[in-house]
Amino acid sequence: MRGHRDLRLACAAAVLCALVAALVPLEIVRLIAALPLALFLPGYAVVAVAFGSRELEQEKQLMLSVAVSLMILVLGTFVLNIFPFGLTTGSWAVLLAVIVIAACRGAALRRARPTAGKKRGSRSRPSLPAVAIGAVALAIAVAAIALAQRPLPADDAVGFTALWMLPTDSSEDAVAVGVVSNQHHRTSYQLEVSPGKSQSQSYRVQLDPGEERVFEIDVPSEADGRTHVVATLYRTLRPGEPYRRVTSWLPRQKTLP
Amino acid sequence: MVSARLESLPVIALLAAIGLFLCSLANALSRATLAPSPLIYWLGVLVIALPIFFRLSSTEPSRRERLGLVLLLGLALYCVKVVHDGIFFTLSDEYVHAFNVHNIEQYNHLYHFNPGIRTTPYYPGLEGATSALTMLTGTSIYVSGTILVGAARLVFVAALFFLFARLSGSARGAGLGVAVYAGTTNFLFWGAQFSYESLSLPLVVVVLMAFVEREEAPAEARGAWAVPMVLGILAITITHHLSSYALAAILVALAVLYRVMKVEKPNPWPFALLAVAAAVGWLLIAARSTTGYLFPVLEEAVKAIWKTAAGESAPRTLFHQASSSAETVASTPLAARAVALLAVAVLAAGAFFGLRELWRRKRREPLVLVFCAGAVAFFAALTLRFAPAAWETGNRAGSYFFIGLAFVCIYGAAELLRRGSKPMRQRLLLSGALGIVLVGGAISGWPWDIQLARPLQASADGRDIDSEPLALAEFARERLDGSRFAAPGSDARLLLTPGNQIVYAGQGPDIEDIVDGTELESWQLPLLRENHLPFVVADRRLISEDTLRGEFFAVKDQYGTALREPAVIHKFARIPAGRVWHSGRIVLLNLKDRP
Repeated sequence: MRGHRDLRLACAAAVLCALVAALVPLEIVRLIAALPLALFLPGYAVVAVAFGSRELEQEKQLMLSVAVSLMILVLGTFVLNIFPFGLTTGSWAVLLAVIVIAACRGAALRRARPTAGKKRGSRSRPSLPAVAIGAVALAIAVAAIALAQRPLPADDAVGFTALWMLPTDSSEDAVAVGVVSNQHHRTSYQLEVSPGKSQSQSYRVQLDPGEERVFEIDVPSEADGRTHVVATLYRTLRPGEPYRRVTSWLPRQKTLP
Repeated sequence: MVSARLESLPVIALLAAIGLFLCSLANALSRATLAPSPLIYWLGVLVIALPIFFRLSSTEPSRRERLGLVLLLGLALYCVKVVHDGIFFTLSDEYVHAFNVHNIEQYNHLYHFNPGIRTTPYYPGLEGATSALTMLTGTSIYVSGTILVGAARLVFVAALFFLFARLSGSARGAGLGVAVYAGTTNFLFWGAQFSYESLSLPLVVVVLMAFVEREEAPAEARGAWAVPMVLGILAITITHHLSSYALAAILVALAVLYRVMKVEKPNPWPFALLAVAAAVGWLLIAARSTTGYLFPVLEEAVKAIWKTAAGESAPRTLFHQASSSAETVASTPLAARAVALLAVAVLAAGAFFGLRELWRRKRREPLVLVFCAGAVAFFAALTLRFAPAAWETGNRAGSYFFIGLAFVCIYGAAELLRRGSKPMRQRLLLSGALGIVLVGGAISGWPWDIQLARPLQASADGRDIDSEPLALAEFARERLDGSRFAAPGSDARLLLTPGNQIVYAGQGPDIEDIVDGTELESWQLPLLRENHLPFVVADRRLISEDTLRGEFFAVKDQYGTALREPAVIHKFARIPAGRVWHSGRIVLLNLKDRP
């Protein structure tokens, strides 16, 4: 690849990006490395080997690089699926890096020897005001997307509280009972759990919005069959009126009715 | 001088960013249940697009600047969909495809069962490519999918620009052609969602662009352009059924036209053969379920057209929102309907002048003829909107036909710009017409009442709270590992993603009648048993079967508050079945949990 600086750079970038994407635990660093590895370099290398020495308009080359990279990702899926290890971080990193290196090698063989002193066309640089306006535009766009990702107070959205109950493990001799609030304000409840014929247990629960409380209750086995566990949630303001109720018969059946 | 500065790319980019912010603001106010005026949103869309349209209509910009403008248009309009979403996929098909990505991540292999749309695992192109990004970047499926579809969108507009530029011989015309295409009904939302067509359609355009470049290239360079064509045909085949069939049809039509018209260029039959063989081969080898998924839909569409034409069934009312629930849905205002109809009239005028001009100048070019046929077919497909079971087929086909229509309209736009002695006035007129096409297309393509986002999450006292279906999905994800559910449509979508559960919904098998009915009938428990579905979601919300509207919070005096009979839940007491989760209107039952 001597003399073909772009191909050497593409190979080096592919190896570096693959290593970073596969080994570095920081998400943002991996993102910066993985995007060119997945969405640009494979296409660039394949386009380079396809076109060899023929001139291709720069804009078209850029578009084709991304488009062919997308095609390679799609077809790579199919290829990796054939192998027992399948689609993993490592297999993707290796496959994409190998494609880039192989295609760059092929492109170097197909290209004519570079002529020394080939001048690049003059490129106008953007003015300072243009850069400043572009930066402001980018900042506004980022703010628009950030605004969209932020949950907002929605007072007219109907809030609710959910009650749930599940066995804590496969032995099914205890249950976890959870109360989770999706109300707009702090709310208070009374939770009553009656595990079969045993004494029922009562808990006062105060929850902030988005908060969850989980209680574990032992369930004694009963000689005459399954234990019927009932958990009932009452609002403090309406103590006699069941608000939520969940039930279970433990141990559970193995089959459907 | 001032005018020139105002028309510079950075200023136009600034305006596009401001327009995007307005869209985001309108969505934020809507999520905050403040019922903002939709005008804020439409103003945002126009602030993005009109300066770009106006600049594209000028003779001044270089080819590179025009390319920059269409990329800006594509990206900014894609971001309109992104700011509609928040941090979750919220369009009905997105949950299904995201579940496929989850399965690939979990099992490291393809083709795992997806009860949402059973044929999707057999077209794994989008999901496989997204899995590469999720695995390499460590980001969520939402982030990776959004980046991938965004990249595809940029490729789409750039390839369309190059395709039109090569065919028309005019960069100005190409830019205007892309601007027209932005007015297709699916450009703003449906075509930007995380779904297989959002990747395959851009690749179809890349293949067509490579085809025309190959045509014009010297003989020794044709092999180079064949590479993206072949890769593209193969990639489309394993990404989306309809796109692969559409591409095969186009290439076959070209091969026939080359033969009939005795064109002195190499006949593209090898590519046509490859496209047909790949599509048919994939259908027979890997994706046989496609016939059971696709053909009944097409059959229903044909029947609906026949019945409507014969007067056996009433035609569909235009602008009637297709909510699958019985809850009243806000109808499209009269002014919006007028804009949508005006957009069709503008396109018809553009097509009329364009077709006339093309017939005079380019009727010896096969691809131009195919595009002209596409333009005519677009208007024919509009009539499908009057047939109840066919409107979706017409709407989906429109994305392909519109490529031809956009090309034809380039010549209609050129006709408009040529007429009149005041170029500035003509440019303003054209920009206004393009604005109407864009807004009209968006109104026709997406229900009026959900153009603005609804709250899936909200904040309260500084913490996040979830809608009922989302809370159920989060519970399932944390506490029930890959269980099997029967659920109404909207709950099912969220239980798939982010819930990561196996969820059956809809009518094949007939889960809908089990979960929505007020009585437990004799066939229902055997059907649940046969499909191994212990968990059943009983949902009293009338909106629960609506996969576009049912995922969100109910909002007082606005939507989502109408309820079904309590018997929808209580009927299971006959078994009786254990209640696992209860939020008031939604109850999760476990049929294995019983005395």
